[in-house]
Amino acid sequence: MKLEQLIEVIEARILQPCGREGIEIARVFAGDKMSALLERAGPQTMLVTNLVNAQLACVAELMDCPALCLVGGAEPDPHLLEAAARAETVILVCRLDMFETCGRLHRRLYGDDSQQP
Amino acid sequence: MITSCFPIAGGRFEDAGAASRKLKEQLKQIGIAGQIMRRIMIAAYEAEMNVVIHACKGNLWTRLDGERFSMEVIDEGPGITDLHLAMKPGYSTASAEARQIGFGAGMGLPNIEKASDLFEVNSHVGKGTRVRATIFLKTQQVEQSAGRSLSIQMERCVGCFDCLKACPTRALRVWNRQPHILPALCIECTACIEVCRRGVFELPAMQNSNDLEESSGGAHTLVIPRALLTQFGSKIPPETVLAALRNLGYRDIRFTEEWDSELRRMVRHYAAEREVHPVISPICPAVISLVESQFPSLIPQIAPFVTPIQAAVEAWAPDTATFVPACPSQHTQLERANLSARLRIINPAELSARILSELPLQADTPARNQKSSDQRQSSGKNDPAVLEAWGVKNVVEILEQTERGMTGDFQVLELSCCENGCYGTPLFQENPYMAEKRWASSGLECERPVEVSSVKQPYQARAGMRLDADMDRAIEKLARIDELTAKLPGRDCGVCGAPTCSSLAEDIVLERCPGLECPFSPTGEIP
Repeated sequence: MKLEQLIEVIEARILQPCGREGIEIARVFAGDKMSALLERAGPQTMLVTNLVNAQLACVAELMDCPALCLVGGAEPDPHLLEAAARAETVILVCRLDMFETCGRLHRRLYGDDSQQP
Repeated sequence: MITSCFPIAGGRFEDAGAASRKLKEQLKQIGIAGQIMRRIMIAAYEAEMNVVIHACKGNLWTRLDGERFSMEVIDEGPGITDLHLAMKPGYSTASAEARQIGFGAGMGLPNIEKASDLFEVNSHVGKGTRVRATIFLKTQQVEQSAGRSLSIQMERCVGCFDCLKACPTRALRVWNRQPHILPALCIECTACIEVCRRGVFELPAMQNSNDLEESSGGAHTLVIPRALLTQFGSKIPPETVLAALRNLGYRDIRFTEEWDSELRRMVRHYAAEREVHPVISPICPAVISLVESQFPSLIPQIAPFVTPIQAAVEAWAPDTATFVPACPSQHTQLERANLSARLRIINPAELSARILSELPLQADTPARNQKSSDQRQSSGKNDPAVLEAWGVKNVVEILEQTERGMTGDFQVLELSCCENGCYGTPLFQENPYMAEKRWASSGLECERPVEVSSVKQPYQARAGMRLDADMDRAIEKLARIDELTAKLPGRDCGVCGAPTCSSLAEDIVLERCPGLECPFSPTGEIP
């Protein structure tokens, strides 16, 4: 699924325009522990998290993860934006909380009957 | 060979990750990518963050040759007081500052171990810590390291040492009253699960319990061992369990044994055309691991087919299916086939719990199928050319005899580590013979055509435990081990936590655990 379609579903906005709204996202992983994010991040994966620090961009860069979604309307650390720009990682902010965000993403990605692809 | 050093500054979260980033740049230029790159990055970043969080400063040393990537992270810091505790998932001593930004989940060292093929950590309190990790670049070598599918519930261990003696490859140790597995030696044969009365050893928990929910439903295929249907006592026949599984949403239910029968048939055919006998059937993945690691001279005698569980996986590629492994070695084979996260793997215990919730309190026992044809028609019991044997001890004995050329009168060896094949896996409670009989009289047996393909990569010797990557140092260590072994009593009593005196000597020389020593004097008396 295209990133822009997911953005629409969760009413998020892209913080820094980077012309990568069309990238393909196949998996989403949500979590607030760096180790868990590191383990599950990968190409075509979007990470959803309550964290806002610059290390997120580092994890995304190391694991070739194209997009980060910060939930709960939190303000990202300025260092995160800097690091993400360098790594060409898309940063989304979403005012919805984690539960709602994940619920909508799950429905959009896997359908109503909660079946995995 | 390329050797590099990347400095790491302790305590500076704003610069953290710089060493791993530089390493990634370098590896990318060399052409490393995909899963190997992922694993290296997980290990490097976790190790780097450990230095940032806990130490004053450190260095990430790396070495890359055609075969392997090795890294060593050495720091100057407080050291680790209790290494075993530090290896426990969830345990952390990270500061509040680190925790606030998502670190300190207690997954650092366990993640490095999981990502690497060889892993070692040493620490001196007040001085610092050294973490070493090696990742083999070729998948073949990656597959050689087993011992990944056993999880240890340390708090259940009472230190009875039964597992030490049960392990056929001496892969177990009990250090500080807690069992440890040396992954390079473990063949995942279930001997330790079988012998442990406390249930210390089990399959690793599934990463996410929601997976169970997600995996059912729709036209999903479920592949289970037959024994799973016979675990619910005399009142609940296999048919009822099957119906419960259908209620859970699995429409298409298949049995691993379907590929078993096909493999047996093919191996017999293959053996009949060969001149060198016996041929070892790859019916049990743990037996194959055992041959690869302990009996490498017999590798050419393994029939070149995939194991039944691998054949079952291939049958569904590229579609998705849910698999229930019968033992840790099957679990490892599923995990290896699962790099794309395509398969779902369910722990039999978890599925059993779900089945229980779907079962009626008491089912009507159906009329037994009197005709239940020759239930073991595909087995080797009645075939004089096939030697079928169960149990790790028997398997080891027969392989030893085979190595000496004493079993040439059999065409095929069908060896399984568990008693009565997969019916006897210690992950299931029911007696293996009762389980088999219940299945046989259920009338569920049906022959569906299945395929078992040839192996993609020939079976190969496992490197096992190397004393040192450097040959000179390895020779020197071997000499020290021999010297130390000669000084020990030689009673192999196991009180020190190692199964034999020479294992203890090896552990001391390789510094596998600090503070190891023989509790007795050289003459074997209590000092």
